[in-house]
Amino acid sequence: MSRNATYRRVTREVVTIPTRFPAPRMWWAMFAVSLALFGLLVLSVIVLFIKGPGIWGNNIPVAWGFPICNYIWWIGIGHAGTLISAMLLLLNQSWRNSLNRFAEAMTLFALTCGGLYPILHLGRPWYFYWMAPYPNTMDVWPQFKSPLTWDFFAVLTYLLVSLLFWYIGIVPDLASARDRARKRRWQVFFGVLALGWRGQGRHWLRWKQAYTITAAIAVPLVVSVHSEISMLFAAGPIPGWNSTVFPAYFVLGAAFSGFAVVTIIAVVLRHMLKLEDLVTERHLDLLGRMTLATGMMTAYGYVMEAFDALYAGGYELDTLQDRYGGYYAWSYWGALLFNFVPLQLLWWRRWRVSPIPVFLIALSVVVGMWMERFMLLVTTLYRDWLDSSVNLYHPTFWDWSLFIGFIGLFCCELLLFVRFLPVISAFEIKEDLADG
Amino acid sequence: MQIFSPSADTWLRAGIAALVVAVFAAGLVAAGYADSTYATQVGWAKDQDVPFSHRHHAGELGIDCRYCHATVETSADAGLPATHVCMTCHSQLWTGAPMLAPVRASLAQHRPLRWHRVAQVPDYVYFNHSIHVQRGVPCVECHGRVDTMPLTWRAKPFQMQFCLDCHRDPAKHLRPPEQVTRMDWASWSPQMRQTYGSAALRRYHIDTGKLDNCEICHR
Amino acid sequence: MSAPGDPAGVDAALRRLGASQGRQYWRSLEELFETAEFRRRIAAEFPALARMPTDIDRRSFFQCLAAAVALAGLDGCERRADEDAYPLILADRDSRPGMVRHYATAWELDGVGQPVVGTCRDGRPIKLEGNPDHPASGGRTDAFTQAALLGLYDPARSGGPLRDGAPATWDGFGAVALAARERFDASGGTGFALLTGPVQSPTLLRQIAGMRARWPGMAWHVHAPMAEGPATLDGMPPLDTIDVLVCLDADPLGNGPLQTWHAQGWSARRRAFQQGDGAARLLVAEPTPTLTGVTAEARLIAPHSRIAALAAALGARLGVAEGASQPLDSKERAWIEQATDALQASRGGGLLCVGPQHGPELQMLGSRINAALGQQAGAPRSHPQPWGDLAALHRAIGQGGVHTLLILDSNPCYASPDAAGLAAALKRVPLTIHAGLHHDETGQACRWHLPIAHLLESWSDVQCADGSAGLVQPLVRPFLDVRTRHQVLALLTDGEVPARDLVRQTWPGDEVQWQSRLLKGFVAEAPIPPAKPTASAAAPRSAAPQPGDALEIVFRPDPTVHDGAFASNPWLQEMPKPLTKLTWDNAVHIAPALAEELGIANEDLVEVSAAGGSIVGPAWIVPGQHARTVLLHLGYGRRAGGPVALGSGFDAYPLRSPSSPWARGDGKLRKLSGTRALACTQTHWALGGHDWIRTVEEPGEALPRKEEQKSFFPPQPKEKPENGASPPPAWGMAIDLDLCIGCNACAVACVAENNVPMVGREQVAKGREMHWLRIDRYYEGTPEEPRQSFQPVPCMHCEDAPCETGCPVNATVHSPDGLNLQVYNRCIGTRTCSAYCPYKVRRFNWLDYTREAAPALVAQRNPDVTVRDRGVMEKCTYCIQRIAEARIAADKEGRPIADGEVVTACQQACPTQAIVFGDLTQADSAVAKRKASGRDYALLEDANTRPRTTYGAKIEGGGSESAG
Repeated sequence: MSRNATYRRVTREVVTIPTRFPAPRMWWAMFAVSLALFGLLVLSVIVLFIKGPGIWGNNIPVAWGFPICNYIWWIGIGHAGTLISAMLLLLNQSWRNSLNRFAEAMTLFALTCGGLYPILHLGRPWYFYWMAPYPNTMDVWPQFKSPLTWDFFAVLTYLLVSLLFWYIGIVPDLASARDRARKRRWQVFFGVLALGWRGQGRHWLRWKQAYTITAAIAVPLVVSVHSEISMLFAAGPIPGWNSTVFPAYFVLGAAFSGFAVVTIIAVVLRHMLKLEDLVTERHLDLLGRMTLATGMMTAYGYVMEAFDALYAGGYELDTLQDRYGGYYAWSYWGALLFNFVPLQLLWWRRWRVSPIPVFLIALSVVVGMWMERFMLLVTTLYRDWLDSSVNLYHPTFWDWSLFIGFIGLFCCELLLFVRFLPVISAFEIKEDLADG
Repeated sequence: MQIFSPSADTWLRAGIAALVVAVFAAGLVAAGYADSTYATQVGWAKDQDVPFSHRHHAGELGIDCRYCHATVETSADAGLPATHVCMTCHSQLWTGAPMLAPVRASLAQHRPLRWHRVAQVPDYVYFNHSIHVQRGVPCVECHGRVDTMPLTWRAKPFQMQFCLDCHRDPAKHLRPPEQVTRMDWASWSPQMRQTYGSAALRRYHIDTGKLDNCEICHR
Repeated sequence: MSAPGDPAGVDAALRRLGASQGRQYWRSLEELFETAEFRRRIAAEFPALARMPTDIDRRSFFQCLAAAVALAGLDGCERRADEDAYPLILADRDSRPGMVRHYATAWELDGVGQPVVGTCRDGRPIKLEGNPDHPASGGRTDAFTQAALLGLYDPARSGGPLRDGAPATWDGFGAVALAARERFDASGGTGFALLTGPVQSPTLLRQIAGMRARWPGMAWHVHAPMAEGPATLDGMPPLDTIDVLVCLDADPLGNGPLQTWHAQGWSARRRAFQQGDGAARLLVAEPTPTLTGVTAEARLIAPHSRIAALAAALGARLGVAEGASQPLDSKERAWIEQATDALQASRGGGLLCVGPQHGPELQMLGSRINAALGQQAGAPRSHPQPWGDLAALHRAIGQGGVHTLLILDSNPCYASPDAAGLAAALKRVPLTIHAGLHHDETGQACRWHLPIAHLLESWSDVQCADGSAGLVQPLVRPFLDVRTRHQVLALLTDGEVPARDLVRQTWPGDEVQWQSRLLKGFVAEAPIPPAKPTASAAAPRSAAPQPGDALEIVFRPDPTVHDGAFASNPWLQEMPKPLTKLTWDNAVHIAPALAEELGIANEDLVEVSAAGGSIVGPAWIVPGQHARTVLLHLGYGRRAGGPVALGSGFDAYPLRSPSSPWARGDGKLRKLSGTRALACTQTHWALGGHDWIRTVEEPGEALPRKEEQKSFFPPQPKEKPENGASPPPAWGMAIDLDLCIGCNACAVACVAENNVPMVGREQVAKGREMHWLRIDRYYEGTPEEPRQSFQPVPCMHCEDAPCETGCPVNATVHSPDGLNLQVYNRCIGTRTCSAYCPYKVRRFNWLDYTREAAPALVAQRNPDVTVRDRGVMEKCTYCIQRIAEARIAADKEGRPIADGEVVTACQQACPTQAIVFGDLTQADSAVAKRKASGRDYALLEDANTRPRTTYGAKIEGGGSESAG
């Protein structure tokens, strides 16, 4: 936090962004692109429902392709938000205050993308609710041994909790935005969202309780959700999947990719909304450290995986060799390259605090983590036990269109958020100032 | 100037409460529909080309079900009567009755009668009449009191849970096989049903643990 | 024919068509009634079929009832549209809905009868099985027979007579026939030529003999493109008596008309040998892998041109003086040693088969050697001798000696080297009549096209592999406006005659005998003898070895579409070829060495040229083929005969030389630019040290047992239930790899029984074929001389099934009798089960593969098996519908299910009885005995899934002192 910052400045910088948006042209440009991509998503879904999952490259043995791979990727990205806001809140890490708002929003939006994927991937999506335990005329329940059933619960819970946490957090700022709004439509807009917040002591008391409790609920989710998702792989008796390292491996990878995305957004917002003195070098520095830490832990996961395979031998070893030298070796080496090579620059503060390099490094991590998901899924499935059932997997146009479409959806959501809501938790920063 | 009236909070809370209620209500409506007679078609009499009355034939005249549904004991389908079965009587009785015109026409022009099906299970359900009849599941258990139906309607909701209720606990639904076509079992007390049923289970070595397996009905 | 949709025009057409029988296409039950708009639609879709509708009979009604069942896919629990039901007019005593009847009948392949029992459900033939009472079948079938049923329903079959391509009537042709008859009677038949395929049907022979007696001037030509092929071995003793079988470029076990007969015999001997009774040795020398070759214990890769030398050497060694034999290289000498030792070791039990394509003199040598071995050749099936072959006919036409030509059930304008020339020649013949199933290449070249009835809807008779005759009775009344082949001939000689009478006349004895024969389906006593065959001089057959770098081209019938007759049959088109696993295409098969030399990779386009001309096709590298041999499969590249037939493969007939149709020595191979993508179902095949295929040295030997690993799953089968109910059976399957010859019969049978959809080349290429039962093929050793093995892989029905853990909605669960169930209507398509399945035997409906099916194909579907909808997982169910049927029958009679009461489709079809299915709790059941043997092993024991389907290890060698 820069010295000369005063409450007033903070308020003006943050809360008045929606009403007097600093970079409308840039915003419109980005929003137009995102909207176009979102249109592509809609088109892909329509075609999918008319024709069926056959429009993708999936086959037997690669029954899961892009949808599951991207599902895991998106949910993973979501994790950083919760981690930053909830965990660091409970740890009283005040530096989070400049990041948590949009980090949480990012979580929410990543979850909407990640959550839709598994439903679209179904052969008969219109029956997805059969995964939920509800009283029905068939007297049939979900199969509770299945990781998918628990995915269903996990993602749903995560979505609800994240939504609550994010909204509770934003209420006070909405109120101040309402109070500073000039135009009536803004007043009404923020007024309704602020739920009649008047900043009474009673309000603050209740708010504090609610916020902390939600945070306490959210923290275990950071660990549980992606552990659960890793079961999707680990529960199958398939060489390359059936391993106990997966839960930890997935959670760390998730946080890793998440911090990368937070960094990207931080850099962009910082530039677009002129928030240099709210999102300062210190924040970039800390983000860099977190990314580096989780990244190195993920790297350890890679080592562990190789060790497991060497230890187990047999089919596990075949799979490992196939990952190193097989048809999809590019995804393995690609993952290593993009995840860990540029990452090493973050050992030096000079790099950590300079926006453009950090931005690029984070970008390469996001790509690398996607390649990792692809590698884990496809190289395992396309050649598992019997060589007779080996078959290659080639993503089709519709695979890509759906993927890119979802990125469009994510950007749309994010841009709308930036445009209409306080992107930074102003009151928490002020609280921070007050504490000295 | 004030844009929110003092009561705004209350309205907001009311709105939120209403939303919650609406969600639950939607769920209830969906559930209600699933069990509604509209969805299950229970009790909806079907118009037929020939307004055949089970009440008259089975009830008042007391014609045995198997006279027309001849294959119910031997094959999966109970079978609908061939035109000439109708004509065994109606070549003598009501030979001129206009409501029987389609029957006569069918025989004359060698065109089959058309019946809108009343009791019908989905195509992926493989129901076999013969084994149920042999084990003494009486017609009335699934088809209801057809002997009181002027026009036939579906008496029971042919949903999975209806089948499972019986498959999971068959005892109280079983009757002496020689009386399967009997409609009125009021004279049997619940105890009688239970005692006979459990006896029948032992007699036929029916493994109730097996009866609710998917492959019993689905292939 | 006036514009479709114009009712007046249609009615006019109908009147013209008179009293002929019509096809019954129905999309919904209402369409059953020939409402005006239905008739208009038929007219619009099938101008040639527009006609007075059939009078509705009870069969067609039940067809509709059952079709309604078969039509339906899977819907959820939403409110369903009401169905209508149409009961009978007049019910005879034993006709009831769902009624199943079995008729003994037969169909024909290359003139050889295949005795079958047809299963008719509600009057619709839905499955063919071998006729268990018939010696030539023993209840077994081959892939072709299983698929023949679909040929009956083929939507591409022509439905009415055509004259110059325009719809005509049988009455119209009747007039033409009458005129021709009078002309022939006057002229003694000069100028009249009859061209048929290979004929052995007694009635057909009687008719032709009659014609030739009546019109001595007529000429009868036979066009048999598959004659004297490597698999058409005649006059062999039944193989179950043969301890040592030595094949010189002969393929008795290969796909062809005699496969069922020979495979049965071989398997009987092999099974006896497994029990320690005698030997069952098989030694083969051949240029390219065949089913017989890969089954053999010793396989010598010898080019076509070396076979004669090998035969001579064998003869010399066995004391059949044969002049100076050519020098042999070491490999050849070693093989000859082994063969002669084996043959001498078993006097009387040894047999030498020489491929008929090597010509009469080599055949003579072969039979002399067999005589020396004390082997009497079995009675050869009576081969009627026509007056000439296709070439002779072509010449005759050229000399203008033919003014009327009737081509009966043969397609020379496709299946002959000079097809184009012949088609042109036909144009010069004043009156050409083609009678066949399809309006094919020949049909289009002829003036008249007459649709003949499929044998499964005909009265006829056949001669079977074992020389016995079989009667053919219709399984269903023809859907189409067709006549049987006998009626077509009768139209020429006598006019309209009921099909049954024509066959009835052939057979002596009264009605009672006739009826009993019909019941049995075959005839012990001989029919009225056909005209005495006159000897014909067959040209000497040999591919003269060319000097230099010339390649040897060998031709083989395609293992799936045969000579092209099955090109419009999707079941066969999509069935992976046993040795290459290619579907929907043929390829230029070359050896790895040659591929390396010329820098050719799979799917590269290459040009194969010889003196005759050249063809272009994609290359496919076949391990175990002779380096200088190029193999071409016939039967592809059809130019007519229905949408399925078109656009797949290339036509190899043009390269065939009339003098030596099965091989030629002057081949050239040139790599072209470009490739053609082929749909191959198995791209990886190296065994790579894995124990997927296991072998033992001796019959008695036991495999090393792995100790059972721990498992979280509850033990199976379950313990005895309460209230004294009988313990549930534990279903299991045993597949003996030592008996499997990879013939595909099981796979096609599975398709036929379980409504498995065909998905087409593109989907197969994507890896989306739907076969529930796949046959894996593995190579061991060098690519030049690999050991090859087949392994049929259905669902393993694991006791500890991973798929069941994965499914979130309980759509795949375990039954008390050990079945791994797949509940289609519960499946939401997460595909987790497939991802978790170590055997990858599950199949997914990626797109809508069923709803668009042609109505005729819908009629074939098995109403006892749910038709799967888009987005649903499916897999082998151990034919659960058959289990359910047996269970209900047994329950009704209050008895347990007996062993052998449930027979899966694959087991029933398997000609070698490699597949056995039954209840493991019965210690004396066939399957329990198989699993008790030391050779029994589970695939992928490391996965610890405890599969209910297990395999019997192959036995190296075939017994006797010099085994292996």
